[in-house]
Amino acid sequence: MGLVNFLVYLAIMMGIYAILSLSLNLQYGFTGLANFGQVAFFCLGAYASTIVVLVFKMPFILGLLGGMVVAGLFGYVISIPTANLKEDYWAIATLAAAEIVRIFFLNEDWVVGGGPYQGGSFGIGGIPQPLRSLFSAYTYPFFYLAIVLVCLLATYLIISALTRSPFGRVIKSIRAGDNLPQALGKDVKGFRMRVMAIGGSFGGLAGCLWAHYHGFISPNQFLPLETFIIWAMVIVGGKANNRGAILGAVIIMVFYNSTRFLKDYLPIEEVTLASLRMVAIGLLIVVAMLFMKEGLIKEKKTLYYSE
Amino acid sequence: MLNVESVYKSFGGILALNGLTFSVESNSITGLIGPNGSGKSTLFNVISGFYGKDSGEIYVRGEKIEGIEPYRIAMLGVGRTFQISEVPEKMTVLENLLLAPKRQIGEGILNVFLHPLKIRRENEQSLKSAYEILELVQLYDLRNEYAGNLSGGQKKLLSLGRILMSDPILLLLDEPTAGVNPTLVKDLIIAIKNLRAEKGQTILLVEHNMKVISEICDRVIVLNFGKKIAEGTPEEIQKNEEVLEAYLSGSSKRELLHEDSRGQ
Ligand SMILES: Nc1ncnc2c1ncn2[C@@H]1O[C@H](COP(=O)(O)OP(=O)(O)OP(=O)(O)O)[C@@H](O)[C@H]1O
Ligand SMILES: [Mg+2]
Repeated sequence: MGLVNFLVYLAIMMGIYAILSLSLNLQYGFTGLANFGQVAFFCLGAYASTIVVLVFKMPFILGLLGGMVVAGLFGYVISIPTANLKEDYWAIATLAAAEIVRIFFLNEDWVVGGGPYQGGSFGIGGIPQPLRSLFSAYTYPFFYLAIVLVCLLATYLIISALTRSPFGRVIKSIRAGDNLPQALGKDVKGFRMRVMAIGGSFGGLAGCLWAHYHGFISPNQFLPLETFIIWAMVIVGGKANNRGAILGAVIIMVFYNSTRFLKDYLPIEEVTLASLRMVAIGLLIVVAMLFMKEGLIKEKKTLYYSE
Repeated sequence: MLNVESVYKSFGGILALNGLTFSVESNSITGLIGPNGSGKSTLFNVISGFYGKDSGEIYVRGEKIEGIEPYRIAMLGVGRTFQISEVPEKMTVLENLLLAPKRQIGEGILNVFLHPLKIRRENEQSLKSAYEILELVQLYDLRNEYAGNLSGGQKKLLSLGRILMSDPILLLLDEPTAGVNPTLVKDLIIAIKNLRAEKGQTILLVEHNMKVISEICDRVIVLNFGKKIAEGTPEEIQKNEEVLEAYLSGSSKRELLHEDSRGQ
C-alpha cells in the first residue's frame, strides 16, 4: 500500500470513528449515559444499509437513511425497558444488548437474504460502493473520503446545534441526576430516549459508511472491543466537547494504525502486536483519566452576555 | 390550593408521616415547622411525587395527585426546592436559571432546526427575567461561574432563583434561607412577599428560624412525629404549650438520635 493510499484510508477511518465518537459524546459526555454498547449502532447501521442496497437494490442514499433509522429506532427502543436502571446496571444492559445484536447477525443469515449473499459467520461481501463506476481505483478513495467528511461535518453541525440549544441545557442537567430536571418539569425519560435515538442514528450512519467502504461486513467486526475504542476517543479527546470527540478519534486512530508499522522495526509477531495495541489504548485511557481528567479539550463553558 | 388528607408514609419501621391532614389557602404563605425528623421534607417529597405515599390523598387546586411522575406534578405548577441543594456542577449560574422555564420551544429537537429565531427570542426573554432574579438573589456577578463553585448559601439562593424562574403556582421551599446571611434574608423576605402579591403564588415554607416565620407567614403548621400538632398565626404558635413541649422535650433527645440517621 502506497503512502498516499494509506493516508486516505486513515483519514476515512478517522472520519467514520469521529462520527461514532461524536455520537457517544452526546450520550455520555453531555447526558451522562454510559453506553457500553455503542458498537450495536455501528453494526445495525452497517447491516441495515447493506440489506437495503445489496438485497433490495436501492440507492446508496436510501441505505444511509435506512441504517440511520434502524439504529436510531434501536436506541429509542432499548431505552424503554432500561429506563429505570441505575447507571451501572444500565451500562451492563447496553453491553449485553450490543452482543445480542452481533450474535443475531451471526446466527440468522436469512436477514441478509440467505443463499446468494451468505451472511451469518461468513459475513457479506460485494456490498456496492456508491458511484464507483465514475472513478478509477486510484481516485475512488478520495471521492469516498469526501463523502465521509460531508457526513462528519453534518454530524458535527447537528450535534453541536443540539448541545448548544435549550435541549442541550436539559440533557446537561440530567447528567447531574434526575431530581432537579424532574422538579423543573422536564420529562427525563423522554429526553434520554431522544438522546439514544439521535446517538443511535449517527452511530448507524458510521456503520453505513463503514460497510460501503470496505464492501464486506461480518459480525466479528463488531465486537465489544470497538465500543472500548470509541470510549477511548471520548475520554482522551475531552468529554462534553464536540471538537474534543473528533480530536480523540484522530489521535486514537493514528495510534491504532501506527502500531502496525512497528512490526517492521520490532521482532514481535503480528498477533502479539494486535493485543499490545489494545493494551496501549488501555494505558492511554488510564493516563488520560489520571492526568487530564477532562481530556485534551475541556468542556466549554456556555457564556451569556447582557445586551 | 393544597389539601393533604390523612397521608401516611413509612420508611421501614419509621413512620415519617402519620395520618397527616391539613390544607393551605390560595395566595397565602404558610410556615411548616417541627423538630428534626418530624417529616417536613418527607411531606415535600410526597407532594411533589418524589416519594410514593402509603395511603391518603393529596389535592392541588382540587386536582387529585395520584401516582404520577414528579415532572408532571411540576408541570401542574408545583415548584419545589430541595433541603440539600440540587445544583449541576458543570452548568453556570445563568444556565441554571435558563433551564427552569417550562415548555421551552428550544427543548424540542426539531424546533432547534426549524425555529432558531423563535428560540433566540425566547432565550432573550428568559435572560431578561434571569438578570432580574440574579439581582434579587445577589448572584449577578457570579452569573458566568460554574454553579459547582458556589458556597452552600449561594447554592440555596440559586435554587430559590431557579424555581422562581419556572413560575410555579404552589411553591414548596425547604429551608431556603439556611446558610444565607441575615441581611440578605430580609431582602428575600420582602421579595417573596412581593412575588406573592404580584403573581398570586401560594407558598409553603420549611424554616427553623422563628423570626423569619413570624415576619413572612400568614399561618404556621407544626409537625411532630409526622402529625400536625398545632396550626395558627405565628403569634398563636409561639404561645402554644404543646409546641413548646415538642421543641423542648425533642431538641436534646431527638436531635441526638437523628444526627446519623437523618434523611434529606
Ligand atoms: N429516604 C429515606 N429513607 C429512610 N428514611 C427516611 C428517608 N427520608 C426520611 N426518612 C426518615 O423519615 C423521618 C422524617 O424525615 P424528614 O427528612 O422528613 O424530617 P424533617 O422534618 O425534614 O427534618 P429536618 O428538620 O432535619 O430536615 C426521619 O426519621 C428520617 O430518618
Ligand atoms: Mg428536612
